[in-house]
Amino acid sequence: MPSHSTFSEYSARLREFISRQSGGGSAAPSSVTAETSGQFNQLALTLFALQFYHVPVYRRYCEARGITPENTTAWSEIPAIPAAAFKECALSSLSPAERTTVFHSSGTTTHKPSRHFHNHESLEVYEASLLPWFQRHVLPEVQFRFIILTPGPALAPHSSLVHMFETVRREFAPNDSMFVGSLHDHEIAHRDPEVGKDAFHRVPRISGSRPEKVRDGVESVPTGVMESANADGGWILETDQAWAALTHAASDDRPVVLLGTAFSFVELLDWMIGKQLRLSLPPGSRALETGGYKGRSRALPKAELHGLITDRLGIRSTHIVCEYGMSELSSQAYDRVAGAPPFQISNLKFEMHRTFRFPPWAQVQIVSPETGKAVDDGETGLIRIYDLANVRSVMAIQTEDLGIRRGEGFELVGRAAFSEPRGCSLMSTAAP
Amino acid sequence: MNLPNYFLADLPPEADVTPELLTEACQNLKRNRDEYLARRSTESLLEVFHELGQSWLNPAFPFRQKALEFGPAATGFSRATLAAGIDRFFAELTGGKLHDLIAQDLGHEQRLDDLVANTLERKSSRLGLVRGPNLIAHICAGNIPSPALRSIVLGFLVRSAQVVKCASGATLLPRLFAHSIYEIEPKLGACLEIAEWPGGRAPLETALFREADCVTATGADETLAAIKSRLPIRVRFLGYGHRLSFGYVTQEVLSQIKLASVAAHAAADVAAWNQLGCLSPHVIYVECGGRASPEQFAEALAIELARRETIEPRGPVTVETAAAIATRRAFYEVRAAHGPETRCWFSKESTAWSVVYEADPRFQRSCLHRFVYVKSVANLKEALQAADDIRAKVSTVGLAAPESRALEIARELAGWGVTRVCPLGQMQNPSLSWRHDGRPSLADLVTWTDWEHEIYAS
Repeated sequence: MPSHSTFSEYSARLREFISRQSGGGSAAPSSVTAETSGQFNQLALTLFALQFYHVPVYRRYCEARGITPENTTAWSEIPAIPAAAFKECALSSLSPAERTTVFHSSGTTTHKPSRHFHNHESLEVYEASLLPWFQRHVLPEVQFRFIILTPGPALAPHSSLVHMFETVRREFAPNDSMFVGSLHDHEIAHRDPEVGKDAFHRVPRISGSRPEKVRDGVESVPTGVMESANADGGWILETDQAWAALTHAASDDRPVVLLGTAFSFVELLDWMIGKQLRLSLPPGSRALETGGYKGRSRALPKAELHGLITDRLGIRSTHIVCEYGMSELSSQAYDRVAGAPPFQISNLKFEMHRTFRFPPWAQVQIVSPETGKAVDDGETGLIRIYDLANVRSVMAIQTEDLGIRRGEGFELVGRAAFSEPRGCSLMSTAAP
Repeated sequence: MNLPNYFLADLPPEADVTPELLTEACQNLKRNRDEYLARRSTESLLEVFHELGQSWLNPAFPFRQKALEFGPAATGFSRATLAAGIDRFFAELTGGKLHDLIAQDLGHEQRLDDLVANTLERKSSRLGLVRGPNLIAHICAGNIPSPALRSIVLGFLVRSAQVVKCASGATLLPRLFAHSIYEIEPKLGACLEIAEWPGGRAPLETALFREADCVTATGADETLAAIKSRLPIRVRFLGYGHRLSFGYVTQEVLSQIKLASVAAHAAADVAAWNQLGCLSPHVIYVECGGRASPEQFAEALAIELARRETIEPRGPVTVETAAAIATRRAFYEVRAAHGPETRCWFSKESTAWSVVYEADPRFQRSCLHRFVYVKSVANLKEALQAADDIRAKVSTVGLAAPESRALEIARELAGWGVTRVCPLGQMQNPSLSWRHDGRPSLADLVTWTDWEHEIYAS
């Protein structure tokens, strides 16, 4: 593909930008400043032009609005593609042969999963985007043990959340960490036999006789508040294994990072409550919690869930970090730095808002669903994200999540009631 | 709003309805019913409701004025949408139409007054009398107000005391209607109670069900099943589940001259109660092969909805509803960019109305609030196949067809299971004699006494 060199050039420039924002890698990246916004704009316009010319569905979507790279001067004018389009079309500049990895959103039998395709280079950008922002919010110090409450990458190769957890595990705690989730029996029975041979499932070539498989249930999920793994419950927690890991960790001085979805935490806590178990993880231990419940476990209000994490596991509330991400993105937002106060406190009403912030290479807009225009601070609208790390798909994503604009960040409200229309998707005809 | 405290729904929000309060109210209602309503003549009741209907149509009627003044904030409907809905409902409420309903459902206009026989009964020396329940409890869904008003009228016709339990925030129109009854005849108003509490408050509902001998309910199937499971066996239950409706436009009516008027009828159905009723269309099926294509019809419908927005605006919606509409619009914009099988027409800078044309005939549930699909079909058979998933759930089909085909189409729709076929443009305007979900509404409420009398030779 002739586009390779240009996408590669862009990726290199972006990684430089990320690196500069991250202070050369390990130090904490700063938030968006006036100085970086010019660079953000340049990168965004460059990427828009590349995606406009190399993602046909996106180009038609832009053209229907009369917007082209030639008449666009600001990143905020770039058309945002609805997240649902990832279910409808192959939104990728990668040819089928180039796609090495695919991330799916929840894939139940009744809903089509969204598909976000990657190759090695775009995965490298993904990881370059993930690590510094994760480190800044979850790991200000060093030497942690990770306990991850989801299945590992061999069992859930299409979950970008599991990929995220695996990437941070590999980077920050390669030797002393474990995944303690697994799949329901029926999921294992349907599992692709190739899975597990490699860290990531290779996408079968679509041009060949084997159609790409969309396996029910395994894939999932790292999206906003209402998203879950599978409505039919593909993931389960291996509670005995989890308990062994937790008790072992509690007997040691090294703090633990507990990572999981909200429902995996509920599963763990319900089990502990049922057994009347309680332990105190070493000081400095922390939890990273993401996603919602939809049809899984009990749905708990956030405050109650966090109260239980503190009560049963001895993780202080200041050390519980929420993450907002989705398989359609390559960057993540966090609501606090572990151990530090939450990002924003409204002085007027003395209310605490959990405010999520993306890294400087991803910008958020909260737009009025009524008018499509950015709302004022404190108002509710749909969350729109411009993620410079979404190199080979589409940078500008219109989510179905509602949020309240809070300064540079946003407070998560919930998901728009959007039941995807039934019928065949355009997938079969949409490959570039 | 300065209404006197006649009904539970008039109490200030902080006053909690308790099971004891509700039980006492029910017992009072039943006493009042025995005293003031049970022996009322049909004729006198028809006079009262005829007068009420006429009053509500009068722009100077204080209760109507209150409905239009406070309605937009309380219900979310614009003043014009409310006025149109009120006009449609009360235009049906005449003595003549009530009379026809009784004759239709009960076989004799005096059936509620005395043992009487119609021609058929006379042949077999039989007479019959019906009586209604002592106390009907109506559990009303909150989407649109007219079904609750209709239930109240039917309940009075069968001389029942009634408790109308409204969904949260949906009491305004039933309340004003109840006050208007109270004003015209306090003794009748004393047989009616309007209350509001959030669904699922079991102690209240248990108290209500203990006093009632008939319960009607509208809502989701699960809601109905939950209510039904809690009723004592002696209580009659009439459940009306959520239904879906669609329009059907034949190719013959799509001449270039008629296109705009047919589209205007469809727009009227979409705009009525902002499409929130079970009788409102989710989809308009349009036959190919006419002078105007289904796509052209969709465009004409968009023009009509835009025009209607200027005279009968949809009104504001919650941010969640707007988000649902915006998200669905975005979904179809992706499809539209992808190929000519999908096209979209949306109101600018608002979510006030949306038309999505799809060549794919599969029935889609709309997100409502004036969001409608136009789908192209070769013929009725294709439309019905495409709607097979909702076959048992269809209420109304709004039909635009030439006389030469209308009967055959109505037959086919009836055979498929549709319970009401009406002209496009009249979907949210059922006649008072309408059989709700295919059931005779009035007849379902009553119990008969048959007298087979022997004729002695004198």
